[in-house]
Amino acid sequence: MSTAGKNLLRFLCASGLLLLTAAAFNFVVDPLQLFRPARLLPAMYSEDSRLQNAGLIRSQDFDTVFMGTSLAIHFRQSDIDRLLGVKSLKLAMTGSNSHQQTFVIAAALNRHAKRVIWQLDDWIFRDAPEIDQDAYLPADLYRRNAKGVAGYLFSGAMARESTWILARSIRPLEKTVARLASFVPVKFPIASTDDINTLRADFDVGSAYNAKQAIAAFANITDPVRRAFLAEGYDYDAMVRNFERDAVGLIAGHPDVRFDIYLAPYSILQWVAMRDASPATLKIVYDFSAYLGRRLTEYPNVRLCDFRAASDITHDLANYSDVIHHSPDIDLKILSRLAAGDYVVDRAAPTASLERLKEQVAAYRVEPLR
Amino acid sequence: MLFNSYPFIFLFLPIALIGYFILGRFGNLAPVIWLALASLAFYSVSNWQFVLLLLASIAFNYVIGLLLIARRLSSSLRFAVLAIGVAGDLLVLGTFKYAGFLAANLNAVFSAGLAVNILLPVGISFYTFTQIAFLVDAYRGDVARYRLPHYALFVGYFPHLIAGPILHHKDMIPQFESADAKRPNPHLILCGLIIFAIGLFKKTCLADGIQPLVALAFGPDAPSFDQAWIGALAYSFQLYFDFSGYSDMAIGISLMFGVFLPLNFNSPYKATSIIDFWRRWHMTLSQFLRDYLYIPLGGNRCGRVLRYVNLMLTMALGGLWHGAAWTFVVWGVLHGVYLCVNHAWNNFGPRVAPRFERAAILAGFVLTFLSVVVAWVFFRADGMASAASILASMADPARIVFGRGEIADAALIAIYAGIAWFAPSTQTIMGYDHRNRTVGEALGTWRMRPALLYAGAAALAFGILGIQQHSEFIYFRF
Repeated sequence: MSTAGKNLLRFLCASGLLLLTAAAFNFVVDPLQLFRPARLLPAMYSEDSRLQNAGLIRSQDFDTVFMGTSLAIHFRQSDIDRLLGVKSLKLAMTGSNSHQQTFVIAAALNRHAKRVIWQLDDWIFRDAPEIDQDAYLPADLYRRNAKGVAGYLFSGAMARESTWILARSIRPLEKTVARLASFVPVKFPIASTDDINTLRADFDVGSAYNAKQAIAAFANITDPVRRAFLAEGYDYDAMVRNFERDAVGLIAGHPDVRFDIYLAPYSILQWVAMRDASPATLKIVYDFSAYLGRRLTEYPNVRLCDFRAASDITHDLANYSDVIHHSPDIDLKILSRLAAGDYVVDRAAPTASLERLKEQVAAYRVEPLR
Repeated sequence: MLFNSYPFIFLFLPIALIGYFILGRFGNLAPVIWLALASLAFYSVSNWQFVLLLLASIAFNYVIGLLLIARRLSSSLRFAVLAIGVAGDLLVLGTFKYAGFLAANLNAVFSAGLAVNILLPVGISFYTFTQIAFLVDAYRGDVARYRLPHYALFVGYFPHLIAGPILHHKDMIPQFESADAKRPNPHLILCGLIIFAIGLFKKTCLADGIQPLVALAFGPDAPSFDQAWIGALAYSFQLYFDFSGYSDMAIGISLMFGVFLPLNFNSPYKATSIIDFWRRWHMTLSQFLRDYLYIPLGGNRCGRVLRYVNLMLTMALGGLWHGAAWTFVVWGVLHGVYLCVNHAWNNFGPRVAPRFERAAILAGFVLTFLSVVVAWVFFRADGMASAASILASMADPARIVFGRGEIADAALIAIYAGIAWFAPSTQTIMGYDHRNRTVGEALGTWRMRPALLYAGAAALAFGILGIQQHSEFIYFRF
């Protein structure tokens, strides 16, 4: 072989060796705990729930799945466990759609979960990319197929996180690494699953959730310049199609699993905004809600709770950071009421709670803040 | 298909190379046809709906070229044929790239209510310019008759098809015709791999790595003084590493096939004047604009005033070539102004005393870099208002945050600046000489050869490890 040929071989072998070393390093540290629960090194977790959930499903011990959007993101697993008497795994994903939620729940159910607590709203059933075309959800990682595993192991970003985790586990370096982590973005900074996407103990809830914020958000979304956004993504036929395929398909396919589904308590302002600025959208939401209520109550393994007309929550604007996102206090109220069986939709009158909501929305007048 | 993707690196490229060299044993034409078909396959993976357009463009220009080369027509008829050819190319480019822009402007002025939604075929700006140059040279009598497979490969050659470098037929077609390139050359393959590795590293580790910082200036929130500067600098480095990384990868890939592509970058942020910058940035576009626009407009042959007018026109059209938006026009005009000022300074400015020469060079370097960064704000901004707002923030030191995040970001920017200002260019590292068709000559005797070899291997490994799911090259949009 010529010298150039030998050099070419050396070059390719050296590259290959480096790639394999990085993959082996990622496999040993396994930041996502995709292959095994963390034993050698302390477990660390990421706030990127679409990525982290793939590892949580594999590594955690649970019998109940908790799913939802940003409205369910701040719940603490310890609260869910304490109030509902389950061993839960929170898999809520901010801004998620029904394709993503169903895919992730299905992956968790494959690990023999017996119960799903699911925060639903109409917005998740908007049209969205198919799961394999979804750039934000690493579906192959959940499937743990060759493509997903290769993408995970042969990832420089993951090797960097592995290095952080390894460095943090070395006691003399622990403080330095923790200090550095406050300057450099680290993907896996959380030490406990209970703290994933929850508000820190020192978080100022009062300044984030108050009536002033809610009224300001209401003024913002009803502004004539922006009110068209209220209608964005609302298409009755598409929502019904996605609901049938995703939610109903999952429920019907798992008759042995109990689904505790709750409709989240938006502030009354969200409904009033649609009433005043986009009545056609409100009609779509009402019609879809009625359809959803009728269909879900047909299934014996579903218990549907509708908190949307819970006026003690939804009319107290101090509970909200905008027109839909409620405070951690409401998280606890929701869990308590789920445990107590309050606000359960009557199978004989599946639209009764919707009718109560309609009355509230029609009657409500927005008071300017004094 | 992206160069920075697993299917390209582990599937397409090896198959294209193996097929090319196997067919090279059976003759000189088969590998050319193979490479042309491979290029079509490469293009059709993500742009299948525009394959016919590409083929039609190749056929149209080839026929027009044949008419011009044959020299059987009268001179006025030849000119008419050239005009038809160039107009046809510009019409297609204008339809796909500028119809929406034109409609938006008509709507703004006349409330015309026109709605134009046409997808931009990837690479159309590059293959249109390549072929216009071919037609003009054919008209001038500077072109020999080429065979269709060679011409089709020249236009569609996959390493350059999507985002350049802009090729010249006189440079490329003789290489496609050469029998030497059809035999595997381990030295060229190795050098090509190392250049590809450097480009891949620039793209996936450097350009993609700094991308999140760009949002500090160009995101939805109004930036502070420091955030605006960090974002603008981040974009300056992102664009450079992204595009020069792409160009390195194109050169490296082509080298594996035994074909030398022209250089497109030569450490542009080391430039000490704007004239110098344009000799180092997107060099093949600068050459094209000089040869086929600036010089035909009269260049510097019609007096100083017209020279400046020609410069402004060339740069404004160069800006418009990048994209159908006023921000690109302003970017081009701004560089036109810079160039005029630079030429005027050279002509009328005071001579620098020898003892101040270093200081003058340093001042020129700083001024050039800052001017380029300011112009990039228009290049990147979503609109004129957004650009003006970012520039206002960059000029308002009263609003400053400089928290932990900004300190870390500034440190990262400093590292990128260090690489852009002090690291040698890829061609310097590799001894790539496009004109003499040599590369890596020093590697055989150089003591550092193993270090370069293993550093290149590391660059390839890190480049592959850095591949993200969806990371297009910025210049794909142009």
